[in-house]
Amino acid sequence: MSVSIPKTNTALMALLKADFAVLRANRRSAILALLVPVVILISWKPLIPKLGGAYALSAAITFGLMAIGLMGYSITVARDRDKGIFQRLRVAPVPTWAIMVSRLAIQLFMIMLLTILIFIIDKSYDGVTLTLAGYVITFFVAFLGGAVYLSLGQLIVGLIKNPETVNATTRIVYFIFIMVGMFGELGTLGEQVKKYIHYSPYGAVKMMLATSMTPQTWSSATSVAVLISIGYVLLFAGVGIKLFKWNTK
Amino acid sequence: MEISQSLLNVENLSVNYGNFEAVKNISFSVLPGEIFGLLGPNGAGKTSTLSAIEGLVRFSSGTIIVDGYDVIKNPLHARAAMGVQLQSTTFQPELNVVQILQLFSGIYGVPLDKNGVNRILKEIQLEDAAHRRFAQLSGGQQQRLSLVISTIHHPRLVMLDEPTTGLDPQSRRQLWERIEAIRKSGHAVLLTTHSMEEAEAICDRIAIVDHGKIITIDEPQALIEKHRNDPEVIAVSRRGKITLEDVFIALTGREVRA
Repeated sequence: MSVSIPKTNTALMALLKADFAVLRANRRSAILALLVPVVILISWKPLIPKLGGAYALSAAITFGLMAIGLMGYSITVARDRDKGIFQRLRVAPVPTWAIMVSRLAIQLFMIMLLTILIFIIDKSYDGVTLTLAGYVITFFVAFLGGAVYLSLGQLIVGLIKNPETVNATTRIVYFIFIMVGMFGELGTLGEQVKKYIHYSPYGAVKMMLATSMTPQTWSSATSVAVLISIGYVLLFAGVGIKLFKWNTK
Repeated sequence: MEISQSLLNVENLSVNYGNFEAVKNISFSVLPGEIFGLLGPNGAGKTSTLSAIEGLVRFSSGTIIVDGYDVIKNPLHARAAMGVQLQSTTFQPELNVVQILQLFSGIYGVPLDKNGVNRILKEIQLEDAAHRRFAQLSGGQQQRLSLVISTIHHPRLVMLDEPTTGLDPQSRRQLWERIEAIRKSGHAVLLTTHSMEEAEAICDRIAIVDHGKIITIDEPQALIEKHRNDPEVIAVSRRGKITLEDVFIALTGREVRA
């Protein structure tokens, strides 16, 4: 009886390497996920003097985070689960959390890429610059915002098994967040909706991001947005992990 | 059966899916250097038994010991002691053959440099397909890759769920040789199959499973001899020769399962 368990960090590195290879192979869809916020940022240039740089920047990052969390994460997880890829990994001597940590690390890398890309475009194209503190805080708040949408993606794959339905649901949720969030926030859908939007995953994340760009404007409302975001992460991830099944049968 | 010597010991195993009892209180052991076959009609409980051993489904009662490790108490040790080829093995469709080999060598903690990869590719005759994705391989190539991955860490117990389904005779024969090579190295193989020819050709012992229960366990030839004169066996036999398939049908019934 001399079986030794492989080191978790060795297994995790192998998983990460493979997941990055998958990301590289799917670079077109990764680029498309990054393209939406970039297009928004560029097309909103004439509106920046009216809306403010922080508004445009936070909206662009929020849309990107939604695309990464909802579509990048949940669709690939639903597909791999349906194909039995997770089952093949689970029969190996690797803790199941390592399989998911590797997947999440890829999405966090995408969030990092998105935030840096938005900063660069905003500075070079729209001429918006932040203080060093603004860049640093926004960068880290983007990860919390990303966690909100990743956990929402986890909730969707926890509730829905069929990969086609997951695909359709994430797109609908994405569309609703963009349309209702954007127009609702501007008051187009009425004052009541505008009020609720502030407490939605869209509104809370956007407020955190907008304020983090100008840290001197941090208020109690921003702290509430941070707490609401953490609450969403705990709720969505908690339910999503509890309901998650490793196979679709 | 010498439990202390067995590489796999399953005792009083039951697996339930809701109110449905897929596996009902079954017990069997697999010894080193043995190819043990689990045979049964569709839905008999073969894959559920394998899934319980592999840790993919929770079993409601019983114990499973793999190479001395309880699969509940020491799941990672038990998994490290076994190599698994699932019924419908698939890998991330974006990964090519080399990337898949590197992924699983890393997961199983087996150092694999470029020479190691080339040696494996040569061994499974996939040198020309090194940079092809899994979905682009033929059925035989996919099975060879799956088998080599399930044995990449030289496990003492290899579990194969219907490994030759869909293979042409050449690929099937080649796979049998690979399975027999595992046995020769002193390791054990537990496989499920629908092919009586396969069970007769390579299994040292077989268990016939139906409705979640083991009906009988024996050597294939011994089973044929034991049931040769049963009226049910004679009734289902064709061309006057009693085969393992005749015994199997007589024991499990003629009705087609879903």
